[in-house]
Amino acid sequence: MSILRKRPRLEDRPVPEKDPITTSSLATPIAIFSLLLILTLVWALYDEILGLRPWIGYQRDFVKTYQKALVEMKPVRAQEEAAIYGSNEYQELEQALQEAETAIKPALAEIEQEERILGPKLTAITKPFTTARSRVQAAIYLLETANESSKASLEEDLQKLREGPYTVEIPEPDGSLVEKSYSYGEMEEEFNALKVKQGELQARTVELVRPSTQLRRELNTFASARLTSVTEAQVEGLLTRLDNFRVEIKQIYNADIGRVAANGQTPLVDRCESCHAGVREPVILTPETMGGNPLFASHSNRELLTIHDPETFGCTPCHNGNGVATVGVKEGHGNYKHWLWPLYPKAHFDAGCLQCHEADRHLELAPTLNAGKQLFSQRGCQGCHPREGFEPEPRLLRSVQKSILDLRLERNEVEQETQRTISTADRAETNEEADRLYNQADALTLNIADIDTQLDRLTVREADVMLEVKKVGPNLKEVKTKLKKEWIPVWISNPHDFRPTTKMPRFRLDEQQVQAVSAYIWQSGIDVELPQQSSGDPQQGEILFETRGCLACHSIGEESGATGGTFAANLSRVGEKANYDYLVRWIHNPKERTLPYCPIHQRDITPEDYASQGLPFQFDPQHAQCPLGDHLLQVQQPTVMPNLRLSWDESRDVASYLMMQAHEDAAYPDAEYLDDSNLAKQGQALVKHFGCAGCHEISGFENEGKIGTDLTKEGSKPIERLDFGLLTTQAKQEGWYNAKGFFDRKLADPSVWDQGKVKEPLERLRMPNHELSSEEINQLTTFLLGSVESVIPTTHHYAPDDDREEIQKGWWLVAKYNCMACHQFSPGQETVLENLPLYQDPDSRDQLPPSLVGEGARVNPNWLSRFLRNPALSETDTNRNGVRPYLKARMPSFGLSDGEIQQLVRFFNALSKQPLPYTAVPPDPLSSQELTMARELFTHQAAPCLRCHATGDAATDADSSAPNFLLVPERLRSDWTKRWIVHPETIRPGTNMPSGLFRQQDQRWVFGLADVPSLRSYTKDHAELMVRYMFQYTAGEQRRLTSR
Amino acid sequence: MAKLYIGLFLLGLTVACGGGGETASEVAPEAESIAATPETPQSSAPDLSQSGSVTGRVSFEGEAPKMARIRMGAEPSCEEKHGGPIYSQDVVVNDNGTLKNVFIWIKEGMDQYSFETPSDPAVLDQDGCLYTPHVLGVQMGQGIQMLNSDQATHNIHPVPANNREWNISQAAGQEMTRSFPRQEITIPVKCNIHPWMKSYIAVVPHPYFSVTSDDGTFEINNMPPGDYTIEVWHETYGTQEQQIKIDPNSSQNIEFSYSG
Repeated sequence: MSILRKRPRLEDRPVPEKDPITTSSLATPIAIFSLLLILTLVWALYDEILGLRPWIGYQRDFVKTYQKALVEMKPVRAQEEAAIYGSNEYQELEQALQEAETAIKPALAEIEQEERILGPKLTAITKPFTTARSRVQAAIYLLETANESSKASLEEDLQKLREGPYTVEIPEPDGSLVEKSYSYGEMEEEFNALKVKQGELQARTVELVRPSTQLRRELNTFASARLTSVTEAQVEGLLTRLDNFRVEIKQIYNADIGRVAANGQTPLVDRCESCHAGVREPVILTPETMGGNPLFASHSNRELLTIHDPETFGCTPCHNGNGVATVGVKEGHGNYKHWLWPLYPKAHFDAGCLQCHEADRHLELAPTLNAGKQLFSQRGCQGCHPREGFEPEPRLLRSVQKSILDLRLERNEVEQETQRTISTADRAETNEEADRLYNQADALTLNIADIDTQLDRLTVREADVMLEVKKVGPNLKEVKTKLKKEWIPVWISNPHDFRPTTKMPRFRLDEQQVQAVSAYIWQSGIDVELPQQSSGDPQQGEILFETRGCLACHSIGEESGATGGTFAANLSRVGEKANYDYLVRWIHNPKERTLPYCPIHQRDITPEDYASQGLPFQFDPQHAQCPLGDHLLQVQQPTVMPNLRLSWDESRDVASYLMMQAHEDAAYPDAEYLDDSNLAKQGQALVKHFGCAGCHEISGFENEGKIGTDLTKEGSKPIERLDFGLLTTQAKQEGWYNAKGFFDRKLADPSVWDQGKVKEPLERLRMPNHELSSEEINQLTTFLLGSVESVIPTTHHYAPDDDREEIQKGWWLVAKYNCMACHQFSPGQETVLENLPLYQDPDSRDQLPPSLVGEGARVNPNWLSRFLRNPALSETDTNRNGVRPYLKARMPSFGLSDGEIQQLVRFFNALSKQPLPYTAVPPDPLSSQELTMARELFTHQAAPCLRCHATGDAATDADSSAPNFLLVPERLRSDWTKRWIVHPETIRPGTNMPSGLFRQQDQRWVFGLADVPSLRSYTKDHAELMVRYMFQYTAGEQRRLTSR
Repeated sequence: MAKLYIGLFLLGLTVACGGGGETASEVAPEAESIAATPETPQSSAPDLSQSGSVTGRVSFEGEAPKMARIRMGAEPSCEEKHGGPIYSQDVVVNDNGTLKNVFIWIKEGMDQYSFETPSDPAVLDQDGCLYTPHVLGVQMGQGIQMLNSDQATHNIHPVPANNREWNISQAAGQEMTRSFPRQEITIPVKCNIHPWMKSYIAVVPHPYFSVTSDDGTFEINNMPPGDYTIEVWHETYGTQEQQIKIDPNSSQNIEFSYSG
């Protein structure tokens, strides 16, 4: 009310001088705002059409460039096709086909003519005959089941049916019908005759057209086998398809394989091909063919796409990135803060394999990842860092040992319980009660037997795993007998100075720390005098070193002059550090230990311990029992270095040669302080702190755990948990605040995150420096980036439970023992040996170890396991190769456990798709006549088998180039043997075994190099005869042949 | 931005292609070279109307090394053929102080030409358990007819680095023809049955090669004029090379020398 009252009346108001309504205008702001509005609209429209849909532009570009490339390609394709179809070979084939077809025409016409006569006849007779046959059979059935009284009349009926007569109108060739009358028997005969005739005609036709059918098949595959890309017609088809190309989001959808996270599974939606439009094109598109734009190129590895169909697997499960995003490159590639799985950089593509292929040690199509895994284990990363799959043996050993202890306890309890039950039964009031309790006691006794069985099995397993446990570095308990004292501190202060390629890393220790660690290592060593060795012949040693195969793992020569493998140490300066007597023993048998170690007593067992029990001081895999209790000892050096079965003399020669590998001016300052016990005490703490026992066996540290971070899922650690230290800000600014940035820098300089920090010496980062090359860093980073918590459902992981699982497991062993350094496992794989200077002369290539491609199909698996256990194939004559005595390179004894041997056998059989267990089917024995023929063939001068194959005579065996036939019955599979002697070239291209020994003649193989009189009348397969002969070959037979 | 560039680039390309006839013809060969597959090099047969030739000699300085004696006792039928001691052919120094079995070929300078593959095969005989000739030159793809004039079975086992390896038995009197598609200086050939047998096959892309004979000389004819690198190869002493210039209708003489 008051307001109303206060309001001045209109006429009371003063009239403003400038009335805004009449004097001022909003035109300008309105104009500005409408312009802004229009701009926003344009912007929105742009975004709607292009800005947020960059793929529209990409797809249009793609169509244009692709069309252009196809048009350019067309004449080339046409030219290639024309060249193929116009080639003499094709013309000849075509002509041959025509000729073949013409040649058989008359014969075919004849057959057709006969069929034209036969066909209607057969048709005419079939129905009456089959009707009659069913009647006769029905009558027979009635007769069989009838009672005696009606039999006579039924017999009569049957007789009538048999007699007929049946009249059939048989069509004659001229078209007329001739009425014929048959009894049932005659009709059956006629029918069968016609049927046989028809079969004959069909067989003749098949036989006749066989050559032309074969030719037609060849002709059809001729072009497809020679075309390097699509045909002209296909290019045409692609162009038509491009004309109808629809610009739209290209999407792969699969609900089965999407990421699995805490909140369940999201379906896979990958729209990557909306921009990467050329990925799956049938034509291989390179950036060059696509106008220099890599965006439109095809997938770089088609084979991978064939294995992993993109319709099922999409793109992001392997590559990472955000498959749903279509608004921009950054978003689609997932390179922004809120996306947990950014695209793997090109250098680390292989990382994507790991989340499904965790169980694979070797992936044919992921070389970077393979190299990363190899480096990880070879450089001893697993010494400090637990990583699933790597070095599983110690854990396995602990669990087996624990199971044994548990079972023993259980056994004790059951035994006590049995005793209690029996004594209760003894005192039972009634017989029934006693009986019941005695039964119970019996059951418990059986229980004990059961436990004993398990214990036996576990003990075998324990011994097995003990053999399998290896350490990356040498056993430092032997340090006093093995090394020169003054060398130790020099080595520890900087191993790369002494040996640039060593796997021993450089710890960041000051001089005092180096001395302390050296002192502890020295004083913790075993004090034993090794037997003194006389000196050997270094020249002979050099020859042995170069020829026996040492260089497959070791290298010699410095820097660019180094030759050999990288699996084990470079031995260029080994003479400066080693003790000769120890080196001789090591070369003679690297598995030999000075003292066995008892994991139960947790100390080395001495000769006195053995003596105290009245036992001889003897320990090896066959004598691994602890003298002080019922448990196993570690009786071998935990090294992968195999035993080359050299004689003591040869070992001395090699050691003498190696002792000469030293710098002439090598001088090491005295290191008396190594005997200072106070220093050793400090050193002990440092040895623990830096985790030396991760790679070395060290007294007092046998049960030391790993000191590093578990790396199994390191790749999916949230970025906040990777500590970039004071470099965090810089990393964010420079764009490397991500896992790759962390790994790359940490591997290059393990102390990098300490930069600028004030820390106590022992608080600093401990990881030592490995002097990795940028390529090695790249490989390790790939492995680490791929080590993730898999977000792919386990159904899609590669975890086969058939033969392929054996292949997966086998590769771990092949890598563990470096088998690939000497042997080829897949075609095209290079070995270390074949690249050595020694094997460059074509003649010396015969001296290379055998390729193992197809080994599972070649040898009897039972023999293979015997061979792997003892490659000398002899208990006494061990300084030789069991199969190929003429090879100077030695197949060493790896000291494999039974489990490892079985695994390798299964691996080879699975690679060759051979089922296990294998039952050998010995070929039929020869008749005496056949034996004579086989002998003649075997020793025929046109095929002098024994000229190349070893015969057990040491003088001639050195020059032989193939194994002894005595091995055949046990070693080979007979089916393989036949394939081999007939076609060695197809099994092993370039083999010394010549092809063309047999030629095919009427479905069998006959000797092709000479006319052997005694075989002229032999109608069976000659190759088969040879195989049967070889499978009954004996030493007696060999003597008989060689003494001729 | 990139799109803009691509657009401009395409525009430019359209203008270039749609422009005058001259520009178009300039673009055409480039397109063709992209289109061409490596198997069809754009080269032609040389013009031989003014061809020249090169002759020469490979001399040997120093004392001729003593060759190991070959013991053929294992194959009496071969041993009989020789009627005297047989020596390895690793180094054969002729009476006039020249070196036999040296392979000579034009290593560089022929790349722009293409050559027909001769239809006549080269012959490699096995006679008296030795290969004849000891060093054989062939063109790529040219047939090599292998004969066995012995009564013994041989196996022919070439050990190439760039071609495919094979190993085939050949009985007395049999023959076969094979070829090597890729250039290689040289492919060692051996017989696993008779380890002393050794021969070398040189596979070259053109017909300009020769092997020194009993007088240590060689001759290469019908060469198109031009500048060339000529190389000699010997199984024991390795390779040497020299530059030569062939003038029209003229002959060049050239000397090589190996020292023992």
